[in-house]
Amino acid sequence: MPGKDVKIVGFLCNWCAYAGADMAGMARMEQPAGMRIIRVPCSGRVDPLLVLKAFQEGADGVLVSGCHPGDCHYGSGNYLARRRLELLGRMLPALGIEPERFHYTWVSASEGARWAEIVNTFTEAIKDVDEGS
Amino acid sequence: MEELIPIIKKALEQVDVVLGWAQSPAAGVAVPAFFHTPAEADAAVFDSTCAHNLAVYLPRLADKKVGIVAKGCDARSIAQLIAEGAVKRSGVFVIGASCPGMIDVKKAWRCFGFGKQVCDAAGKVAMEGKTVAREEILLWKCRGCRDPEPVICDVTVGEASSEAPAPPAEPAGIRKRFAAMTVAERRQFWQDQFSRCIRCYACREACPLCVCRDVCTIQAHEPGWAGAAVDSPQSWMAQLIRVNHLAGRCTGCEECERACPVGIPLMLLLEEQNDVVEELFGYRAGGEAKPPFLTFDIKNDTWDEER
Ligand code: SF4
Ligand code: SF4
Repeated sequence: MPGKDVKIVGFLCNWCAYAGADMAGMARMEQPAGMRIIRVPCSGRVDPLLVLKAFQEGADGVLVSGCHPGDCHYGSGNYLARRRLELLGRMLPALGIEPERFHYTWVSASEGARWAEIVNTFTEAIKDVDEGS
Repeated sequence: MEELIPIIKKALEQVDVVLGWAQSPAAGVAVPAFFHTPAEADAAVFDSTCAHNLAVYLPRLADKKVGIVAKGCDARSIAQLIAEGAVKRSGVFVIGASCPGMIDVKKAWRCFGFGKQVCDAAGKVAMEGKTVAREEILLWKCRGCRDPEPVICDVTVGEASSEAPAPPAEPAGIRKRFAAMTVAERRQFWQDQFSRCIRCYACREACPLCVCRDVCTIQAHEPGWAGAAVDSPQSWMAQLIRVNHLAGRCTGCEECERACPVGIPLMLLLEEQNDVVEELFGYRAGGEAKPPFLTFDIKNDTWDEER
C-alpha cells in the first residue's frame, strides 16, 4: 500500500531516548509521520504485554528504546527490559507477527541523529513486510 | 500398583491429606482424589490414566501438610512452586511414582469406545481383542519424556524403568503443520483457533503455576488488558497474558491443553516459549534454580554481551 502511513508505537524512556527523539525533532531531522511516542519512566517499565497490546490494537510496528546498558537512571531497568524484550521478539513468529515489526534499542539523550536513523530504517523494514517483499 | 496404598497410609501418619487418584466408576479412568483417612486410601490407584497434575492443588493447601503422589513431570511443577516460594518444601511430602507414560483418554476412547476401562495397571493398552501402539495414544509430553523419575521426592513407589528414555519425538500432526506455516498463516491460524475459545479459564485453573486466583490480570478491569467480550482478538489477548506470565516458569506439563474443552493447541505457544527460554537463558523450569525473570545478578550481568 504505497502512501499508507505506517503506524508505529514508540515506548521511549524519559531519561534518554525520549530526549534523543526530542533533539532529532528540534534539529528538524526527517522522521516518519506515523510514529506515536509514549513516554515511559524507564525501558524496564515496558511490560511485553504493552507491546502485544499495541499490536492487538492495530499497530504496524512497535519500537522500544531506553538508555544504553550501564546508563540506566535507576540502575537496572534496561537489563530487565532486554531479557524480556529479547524473549518477546523471538516469540513473535509463533504468534503470527513478523519479527521485523518489533525492535528494541538503546539511544542516549545526545543521539538525535541516531534516533532518526533508527526510526527511518525501522519504518522502511515494516513497509517491506507490508508489501510482501 | 498395590504397594501405593500402604505408602499412602503410612504418609497419613504425618500429613493432613494425600493427593492421589481413584477410579471413576463412570468414566473408567482415574480421577484426582483427596485421601484424609487410611480407609479412604484403599481406593487409591495409579495407572496410565493418571494424567492430572495434582501440583495444581498445592498452593491453595499451603496451610496444611500435604502428601502428593507425583509423576516425573508433576515433580517438576512442585519443584518450581518451591523455587518460586509458593509452596514450602517442608509442607509437602512427595510420593514419587515411576511413570510408564500417560495416555490421552480421548484418543483411547476413540479407539476402544467411550467409557471403556482404557488400560490395565501396568499401562498396557489392549482390550477386547483390540490393540493399538502405545505411542499412538500417549500424551504428547510423554513421548520422549525427559524426566520419568521425580526430581524431588521423599519416598518412591514402583520400579524405576531401566530403559533409556525415548528420544524426543519428531513434530507430528498439528506441530508439524504449525512449524511449516508462514508467519501470516500463523496469524490466521490463531485467529481461527481463538474464535472457538469460550473463556472458561480451564487452561488457567488447570495450570499449577497460575497461582494468582482472584487477582488474575486477565480479568482485571483496570487496566483492561483483555476485554471481557468472548471474541477471537480478546480471547487471544487473554491467552497471551497467560503465556507471558509463564515465561521461564512453565514446566510443560500440558495440563492447559488437556483441560481446554474446545481443543485449542495451547502447547504450541508454551513449547515455543520454553524452547526460547532454554536457548536464551539455559534455563528449564522445574529444577532448584530460580527462574530467570525472578532474579538475576545485576553486577555480573553480561548476558547481552555474551549473545
Ligand atoms: S494468567 Fe497471569 S495473572 Fe492470571 S493466574 Fe496466570 S499468572 Fe496469574
Ligand atoms: S481452556 Fe480453552 S476455551 Fe477455556 S479459556 Fe482456555 S483457551 Fe479458552
